[in-house]
Amino acid sequence: MRNVAIVAAGITKFGVREASWKDLVQEAGKAVFDDCPNLDKKEVDSLFVGASQPERWVYQTHVAPLVAELLGIDARRVISRTEVACASGQAAIRYAWLSIATGLSDVALVLGVEKMTTKFMNLSQTCMVNVGNREFDGPNGFTAPPFFAMVAQRHMLNYGTTKEQLAMIRVKNAKYGSLNPYAQFQKEVTVEKVLGSRMISPPLTLLDCSAMTDGAAAVILVSEERAKDLTDTPVWVLGGVQSVLHSHTVNQMGELSEWLGLRRAAQEFYSLTKLEPEKIDFAEVHDCFTISEIIEYEELGFCKKGEGGKFIEEGQSYIGGKIAVNPGGGLLSNGHPLGATGVRQAWEVVMQFRGEVPKERYVGGAKIAITHNLSGMAQLHHIMGYSIEKPKEVRFGR
Amino acid sequence: MRTIKLPDSIELPTILDPWDQQEPSGPDATGIYDFYKNLAKGELTTTKCKDCGKMNFPPGIICPNCLSDNLEWVRIPETGELYAFSVMALGVPMIIDTYAPFVVAIARFGEYPDDGVQISGIIFDSKYEELKIGDKVKWEVVEIQGPGEKKRYWYCFRKI
Repeated sequence: MRNVAIVAAGITKFGVREASWKDLVQEAGKAVFDDCPNLDKKEVDSLFVGASQPERWVYQTHVAPLVAELLGIDARRVISRTEVACASGQAAIRYAWLSIATGLSDVALVLGVEKMTTKFMNLSQTCMVNVGNREFDGPNGFTAPPFFAMVAQRHMLNYGTTKEQLAMIRVKNAKYGSLNPYAQFQKEVTVEKVLGSRMISPPLTLLDCSAMTDGAAAVILVSEERAKDLTDTPVWVLGGVQSVLHSHTVNQMGELSEWLGLRRAAQEFYSLTKLEPEKIDFAEVHDCFTISEIIEYEELGFCKKGEGGKFIEEGQSYIGGKIAVNPGGGLLSNGHPLGATGVRQAWEVVMQFRGEVPKERYVGGAKIAITHNLSGMAQLHHIMGYSIEKPKEVRFGR
Repeated sequence: MRTIKLPDSIELPTILDPWDQQEPSGPDATGIYDFYKNLAKGELTTTKCKDCGKMNFPPGIICPNCLSDNLEWVRIPETGELYAFSVMALGVPMIIDTYAPFVVAIARFGEYPDDGVQISGIIFDSKYEELKIGDKVKWEVVEIQGPGEKKRYWYCFRKI
């Protein structure tokens, strides 16, 4: 087993793009290779594509070899596409890490991409219902907004979380998003603006929700031996976990305000990496809705269960607080192209560690970061850790 | 130049139809067809394991808890409790959008989780403002008419 580092990162502008799925792949692919001039792309032996629903949004399947063709990659070790809805990108990074750590691959390209805006937005929205159980929850209109609205309703009931506290998540992430030129939304907002925006699914307003977005991001992972020739600023992978609690349909979810899948993933992650929440300098977490970030503070152990609302109210998740959360603007500002989101978070970690972000959203002196993704109705959770310093040992599990 | 003439209109399969598994035979047939047959008779049912006693939802052809295939169809208790609710008004999936906006809810029936279910459902006859968590609700069967002559069945919730 060996250490693995990210040596390059590239991204497209996120938003409603006048660009095809293939354009997005080529844009992000060119950006990532431009970021690593010392790497000959012939050396890429493995390709991991994170893509959630290209079959439905752009009617294209078998996408890994298509990405290989679009970028002129002659991969020969692992060529795969991962699909776990909103976490497809992070899953792709995780499998690339495992493939290199075990010695199967040496140089892996991970590319996450989604084209979600189409001529028929109601068709695009319809694709989202299939992330849940389309036969049993689908006919009841169960897409993400009403589901997360009910999560918020239960969290408010059980812990006294307020709509203002939800809005404060958007205010923070919009502030950092306003400093991110790749983000879909780059305007600051106020609590009043969030509360007064159009009601989507009560208690969630338009600004409590992330958007349907086009975008792609890419990173290159290599073995420790290759990293030293390629960059002076490698970002080391500390490890990654994923956890699901046999749940997909509403019946299996139990109490909606308790994300037991994430609680278990966090335990696994801290045990794997020997980290504790206090040692993390910043976190890119899955704020698909404002309520998600509040529950993530709790389940990731940044604060006690039930105190996520207080945590944002006290400003503890701003840069300079207990732990900076979503200094890249999160999904709320960047938009959420499903397959690209997890890779976009890794891109943010790389830019932060290199100090290549505007100083108002720079987490100075950061050494350790994590990324978190949930997928679907928060049934499945992924966490990955990154360090600016090379880990002393490579660990897969306990 | 050769011309390839397409038909004036192209009929697409109803890939968006959420009730497409209600056919008793043919390529869309399902091993849980009894669920739909029971709905047509006005009953909301699911499978319960005769070996481990777990009531599962959705129904299946095995018990995900113990993998036994020794299952029985049971009626889901008719009255339950409203667990959570919101509104679906914007971004509603196609076909379902024909009857939006509506209240979408989760309710618990029976002794959840071991001998009961927590299921999603639409509430047509109450406004969001008229509901609160803990309200007594019942399930009732809905007839889905169309497209064409098709007649199929689903369920919704009603506040009592």
